Formats: sequence, C-alpha cells, structure tokens
Amino acid sequence: MLSALIWFPVLGALGIGLWPNASAQLIRWTALGIMSGVVLLTLGVVLPFDISAAGLQFQELLPWIEPLGLNYRLGVDGLSLPLVALNSILTWIVVYSSTQSLKPKLYYGLILVVNAGVTGAFLAQNLLLFFLFYEIELIPLYLLIAVWGGTKRNYAATKFLIYTAASGALILAGFLGLTWLGHAANFDYEAVQHIVDAIPAGLQGLILLTLIVGFGIKTPLVPLHTWLPDAYVEASPPIAILLGGVLAKLGTYGLFRFGLGLLPEAWTSLAPLLAFWAVIVVIYGALAAIAQHDIKRMVAYSSIGHMGYVLLGGAALTELSIVGAVSQMVAHGFILALLFYLVGIIEAKVGTRELEALNGLMSPIRGLPLISALLILGGMASAGIPGLVGFIAEFLVFQGSYAVFSWQTLLCVVGTGFTAVYFVILLNRTCFGRLDNALAYYPKVLWSERFPALALAAIILFLGVQPQWLVHWSEPTTAAMAQVAAAYEPSAERIGFGTITQAIAELTHPAAPPTPLALIPPIESTSPAT
Amino acid sequence: MPTLEASTKLPPSTHEFAEVIHRLEAGGAMLPDTPENLMQIIGIYKAYAVPMDFYWRDLLYIAENVFLNPLPFFKYFLPQKYLDLPNHYAGDSADLRIWRGAATAHPELLEFMAKGETGKMPKLLHHLFHDRVNMEFAEACMQAMLWHGRDMGWGLFDGYLDSDEYRANADRAITAYFKYNPPMLALYKLFPEMFLEQCRMMSYTANLGLFWEVMAPVFFEMSDIYDEGGFKGVPDAMNFLVNGIFAIAGRPIYHHVYIRGECFEIIPKSKGFMWLYEAALPYVEAVFYRTAPFRGTKSYNAQARQVPADQKDFHYGILYADVFPVGTAGIPPTLLMQDMLHFLPPYLVEYYQQHCRGEGDTLIQLGITFQRSMYCVTSAVIQALRQALLYPLDDPNPKHLAANRAFFEAQLDRFKRPEARLRDIQTQSYR
Repeated sequence: MLSALIWFPVLGALGIGLWPNASAQLIRWTALGIMSGVVLLTLGVVLPFDISAAGLQFQELLPWIEPLGLNYRLGVDGLSLPLVALNSILTWIVVYSSTQSLKPKLYYGLILVVNAGVTGAFLAQNLLLFFLFYEIELIPLYLLIAVWGGTKRNYAATKFLIYTAASGALILAGFLGLTWLGHAANFDYEAVQHIVDAIPAGLQGLILLTLIVGFGIKTPLVPLHTWLPDAYVEASPPIAILLGGVLAKLGTYGLFRFGLGLLPEAWTSLAPLLAFWAVIVVIYGALAAIAQHDIKRMVAYSSIGHMGYVLLGGAALTELSIVGAVSQMVAHGFILALLFYLVGIIEAKVGTRELEALNGLMSPIRGLPLISALLILGGMASAGIPGLVGFIAEFLVFQGSYAVFSWQTLLCVVGTGFTAVYFVILLNRTCFGRLDNALAYYPKVLWSERFPALALAAIILFLGVQPQWLVHWSEPTTAAMAQVAAAYEPSAERIGFGTITQAIAELTHPAAPPTPLALIPPIESTSPAT
Repeated sequence: MPTLEASTKLPPSTHEFAEVIHRLEAGGAMLPDTPENLMQIIGIYKAYAVPMDFYWRDLLYIAENVFLNPLPFFKYFLPQKYLDLPNHYAGDSADLRIWRGAATAHPELLEFMAKGETGKMPKLLHHLFHDRVNMEFAEACMQAMLWHGRDMGWGLFDGYLDSDEYRANADRAITAYFKYNPPMLALYKLFPEMFLEQCRMMSYTANLGLFWEVMAPVFFEMSDIYDEGGFKGVPDAMNFLVNGIFAIAGRPIYHHVYIRGECFEIIPKSKGFMWLYEAALPYVEAVFYRTAPFRGTKSYNAQARQVPADQKDFHYGILYADVFPVGTAGIPPTLLMQDMLHFLPPYLVEYYQQHCRGEGDTLIQLGITFQRSMYCVTSAVIQALRQALLYPLDDPNPKHLAANRAFFEAQLDRFKRPEARLRDIQTQSYR
C-alpha cells in the first residue's frame, strides 16, 4: 500500500509524459484523476491505521543495494501519517487549482513526481532512501519555479536550488556521520537508532547540528531562510502551496524524525539553544512580515515565523509540546495553502499583490467578498484565534513548552500577537476600505475557483472544533518520542559548544583506533531508560 | 428646444469641462450623445418610474393620513385608496396628460407588491422580509430636502414653514389629530416645537410626493416614446424633460391633512407655491448635489475634516455618489438600486449581462446608469434655468452668449471636485 502511494503518481507522471497530442485540459483532468487515486490510496492507509500504536505500521522491506546499506524500507507512524495525508490533499488542490497551458505535460508530470518524492521521504525508513526521495523533488521544484514562475523566477529558482542542494549535502553528511561513526550495518533507521549511543556525546551534538542546519535550510529557520521569500513569491500560487504547505514540512519532519528520533540525547542537550532559536524565528518572521508591502511576501514571512512554533514544541520535549508541534506542521500546511491560494486568486483577479494598491475587496458586488472573508478566516487561523486549527496547534505547543521554557514560550506568545498585527494590516488594507471606482472592474471569482479555498477553510474549521481528529493520529508516536527524550532529561553532562569542539578535535586527532561497537561502554548517565 | 451647432461667435471655453460646456451651448446635455447612453437612461427612467409610482403615493399617504402617528408601523402599507389615487398627469382624468397610461398604480408595481421576489404571501411577511419597495429611500430624500431646505432657507415654501400662518394651521391640525389622545396632547403642550418640526417634515413629505407625482408619468412617457423609436439622441430626451418641466412648472405644492374625514390645509394650494421653484429646484439641490455623509459602508471622519464644516458645501448626492461598493455616499443609492432592479426593461437586462460581471453586478451597473441618467436630468434643469433666467442658445448677441457661457461654467464648476462623476460619465468604460 505504501509503495502504491509513491509509485502510482510516478507512473501517472510517466503516462502523462508519454501521452501524445493530449490537450492541456485533458492532461489536467488526468493528473487530477491520478491525484484523486492518490488521495484514495492515502485513505486506504489512514482508515486501517492503528491509532493506539506508537511504532511503524504497514512496513515494507525490499533489500536493494546491500553493500551500500541502502534498502527499500518503508513504514508509517503517527509522525509521518498526518504529513502524508497533508501532502496528498494539498497536491490534489495544487493540481485542481492549476490551469497551466504552457508545457502542461511537463508541469503536471513534475507535480506528480514531487508528490511521490515527498511521500517517499515521509515513508522512507532507510536514511539513504530518505535522502534519495529528499533530493528527487529538488529538480522538479527548480523547474516548476524556473519555467512557470514570476519575473525573477530564474534568480529565485537558482537560489532555491543552491540552498536545497546545500541542505541535502549537510543531511547526507549527517547521515554518513551517524552510520559510519556508529558503525551501523546499514542505513536502516532502526539500525542507526540502535548504534547512536555508541557515538560520543560531542560527536552526536555535532551531527545533530549538521542535521539541524541541513533541515533548517529546508524548513527554513532564520537565518537560513533567505531563499524562501524569493522562491515563494516568484513561484506561481499552486507551486507556492507545494513549497510552503508540503516541502517546508520535509524540513520539520526531518528535524523530528532524524534529529530528535535518532539523537535524543544530543537534542535534549541542545534544547535550550533550539528554544531560543525558535523565539528568534518567531519574532523575526513576524516582524519581517509586518514590514512587507507585497501580500504574498507577507504570507511567506508569516510561514517562516510559524515554523518557530514547531521548533519550540520540539525543543520542549514534552508529550504535549511534541504533539502540538506535529499538529502545527499539519495546521500550518493547511493554513498556508489557504493563504497562498487566496493570494493567488487576488493577484489573478485584481492584478496586483501590493498592499498600497489593494483596497475594499470585501465590497459585496464588485469586490471579492467570499475570497476576502476566507482571507480573514485564514488570517485568524494563522494568528491562532480559537475555533480554528491554528489555535489548537499553537495552544498545545505553548501549553506543553511553558513548563520547560517559560520565557521563550511567552516571547513566542508575543510573536502570535505580532502575527495578529500583520494580518490586521493585511486584512484592513486589502479587504476593507473603499473600493476604487477607477480600478474595480475585477472579473468575478467562479465557484470552481472558490472550491479549493472553501475545502481548505472547512478543514481548518473542522479541525479547529474537533482537534481530536488532528492529534489522535500522532499522540502515541509523539508520546513515545517524548518518553525517550525524557530519559535523557536528568543528564548531568549537557552537550555544549565546548564538548562539540572537543569532539571535533577527537575526530581530527583520534586518540585511539576505532572501537568495535560491542565494546563501547554505555555513555555515563545518559542511557535511555527504554 | 432646437438642437443647435456649437456657437462660433465665442472663442472656445478654457474651462476644465470645455467639451461639456460646448455641448450644453449646442443644446446638448452633460451626458455624451450616444445610442448606448440614450438606451441606458431611458431604460433606467422606466425602472425608476415604477417604484416612484409607489413613492409618491405613499409619501402623500404619510403626509396626509399617517401624519404625526407616534408609532407609524404601517406607514408603508399603502391602502387601496392611494393605489387608486388618480395621477394628475396620467389617465383620462389628468389635469395635463403627460403619460398615455392609466392614472392608477402601474401594473408592474401591483404585480411586484403581490409577489415580491419571494412569492405570494401576506403583506406583513413581505414587509418583514424586506421584500418590498424601499420607502426608506424616499424618506431619506425627503429628509435631505428638509435638512438642506431648513439650512439654506431656499424658496418661499421653506420660509413659509416658519410663518405664524403655518404655525396656526399646523396647530389646528395637530390639536385635531390628537383630540382623543390626551397624553400626546399633553406632550404637544409641553413640547410644541417638536411637534411643529414633525409637521414641517410632513410638509416636506407632501412636497416630495407632489414632485414625484409629476416625474413618474414623465419617465413612463419617455420610456414609451423610446420604445416607439421616438427619441433620436440624448438631447431629445433632455429636451423632453425641459419641456415637461416648463409644462408643469406651475403645479401647486401644498400640504393637506385628512383627520377623521376633515381636510386641514396646513399649506393651502392658494399660497401659490410652484412645483418648479418650491419642489424641483430644492430637490435637485438637496438630493442630486448634497444629501448627507454617514451612509453606507464608508464612514466619514468629521474631525479629520473629511466632512465640510458648512452644510451647504456638502457634496454627497447622486452626482458625486460612489455606487461601487454598497452606496458609500449620500442617500443610500443601494436602496433605490434594489428597487429599480425589479423593473428593468428587457433590453437593459440583456445589456448588463454583456458587461462586467453580468447578473452578478447588475445592481452596480444600473446604479451607474442611474447616475448617468441623473446627469441628464440635471442638464435639463440647467438648460431650463438658462432658458428661464438668461438667453436662447441661438441668440445673435455675443454678450448674451457670453452670459450663457458664464452660467454654464459656473454650473460646471460644481463638478470640479474630485468626487464628481462628470468626468467618469464621459466614457462608456465607467460602468
């Protein structure tokens, strides 16, 4: 079943690519049919998923290149399932909302490949396999920005390519470091998990930092974010949904799966640093959003800020904060998709994204009243207004993290206040005020164009009033992660920059030949209880 | 009125609206003479005339019968008597037959009153669902006339409202009206000025009712003539209005109140208040040009001087109104737009479907058409004033022509304001 989720869209992409003389409309409908199939396949995973189990389910194993330690090992748990579902739903919406007539075969084919790559990355239980899937979506996305983007698309796409390639290189370095230093038999997640304790604490910290920077570029975390505003803004609205709603989650997923999941001790030690970093991300993202005049760029910076909540939840390492962080990934995906979709509609109808030029869109007859109303809803959800999914996620994070990082949490709460500020600016200037007589001859928004926004709004509202449907998928998994991390909490020896420096020195000038795995003594007072 | 070529005896005007002034000097209107404009304004006159047929009847009913009822819940429930009230300018019994149709309420109006948008149901339910003619619009126009009339003290009619004679007449009517209502009589004794002010409002209600009683058949007739292929251009339509204005200029403006079968003449016909000077001109000044802010979705900040300090400098009328959003200026045009929507002629419905958002924004499109049509009516008033006070357009004396030009330029100075829609209506792209 999991393989079908990956290979069905790949086969679909191949079919579309080889289809001779098909019209753009037909290709779009075919791609939509394929994505509908993917959504059904996702349902096929979601429905029988055992929500009480913390471990991997629907596991698949196919030995592949054993000398390299590369196996085709898939599995899904409470961390990856919501993100797989998010990916399927958002990609369906991306295909539905695309009306691309320029090179449609390539366009829809690439979207399907990206979908497959992202799903594969979420499902991969082998580090190299994850890396392959992680890299697979790089070139399609580069092309999706460079061919179908805005005026500065080449610049944005190249920047995206360079940053993401660097991200991939760092992640690969981290994975290789983990496996080689721990002398793992292969790159399977479980195998690596078992040998991590054999790696000295300082080196663990170094590897974790490498992974954090690697995944931090993808997420992105300030100051590794500079590719994001350009890429989001220059990408067409559907591709921006892909980038913000789905791709960014690869970064946060990687942080949790491989950072926290493989290196809980190092993660625990670096947690105060991560919490502080989260504050910077939240505050910087919000303040930068306030300063923007382009509503798409404003939403892009908003996205950066909201990634800080995920980081804070991960840093706090309580059951509540981690489930909140996973919820925030999903909530952020839906909310950002809604916001980018609405911004795309506004740009298409009004012809501008400039705050100074937009006004009075709430006007009932000549404006875009429903789009404006949904924009307000999206803004409210993003700002964490109760009753909407954004509130649930942020509340869980704050509730879970306050006991551990109180002042950092309070500063992040202040950050949500800033979120309200820029959304009030956006909504006040865009939706309210006077519609300009001289300009307001906007085409009407068709119901078919409203549908994706309404669907996303319905999900945001539903999960806001019925949060159980959001959190119960991942609760056992995140609880297990928190328990593992909790075992390292009382650790007397925190990994600081000093120990990392020492570890680098040890690496450069090894004092003794490598010790076989079995002979490595347990690390003093840092062994997990389980 | 003959349509003339632009005068060649004067150098071209240097006014901002020189083109419009030359058009007025040639006997044209402020609205460009195009078949599209003609079709639009005549179509909207028809759609305006049907609710107007209700407005004038109900205004007279309120002024004459509801009068000072402190709880006038049913003032918009027009009794049959007023639906059958013969129009003085239509039907066989007309004093001056302007419209060839019947003197009683228009059939389309009766049909709408019975069915509304929702379907047949008791009148009370139509009222509560607001599925009815928006009399609130008519009352807002009346209030604008009262407010600006009182402020400017224009004409003999408004001056008469402060006379001892009016006070005495009103006192008799008020005393009779509350003869069997001691609490209200006691209140009247305590606060006579308040009741008198209400009575003045009723007088203006009668004034507007009598004004629209004339205009409704004029617009019906224009629609009929257009349907028969009678108008060749916008100037023809404007000249019909000018001729109509002069034909009924002397129509008396009065205020009678009927209390238990007895007629109290608060403003008797014998006072000789003329329709043109005491109703038409104050109406144009108050409603077309001024009205009031604080309507619709846009609020004005008086402290930020967004509202002129002097009431006579107000400029929120339909000639300036922003009908795009939901009626952000002056008398809420949306209410009238909603009323006109029910009675659009088929050719106008088809026309709107071809532009902008089609059915989705017909309300706005017809609002802008209405704005165009009111520029045509204002043109007729300006030409009528020029005809009454100055010189013919074909006068051979250049000094007379110069005086005419000065008059036109002074009139068009009022549209130099940025909010004025005169610039917009010069092109068809303003929809």
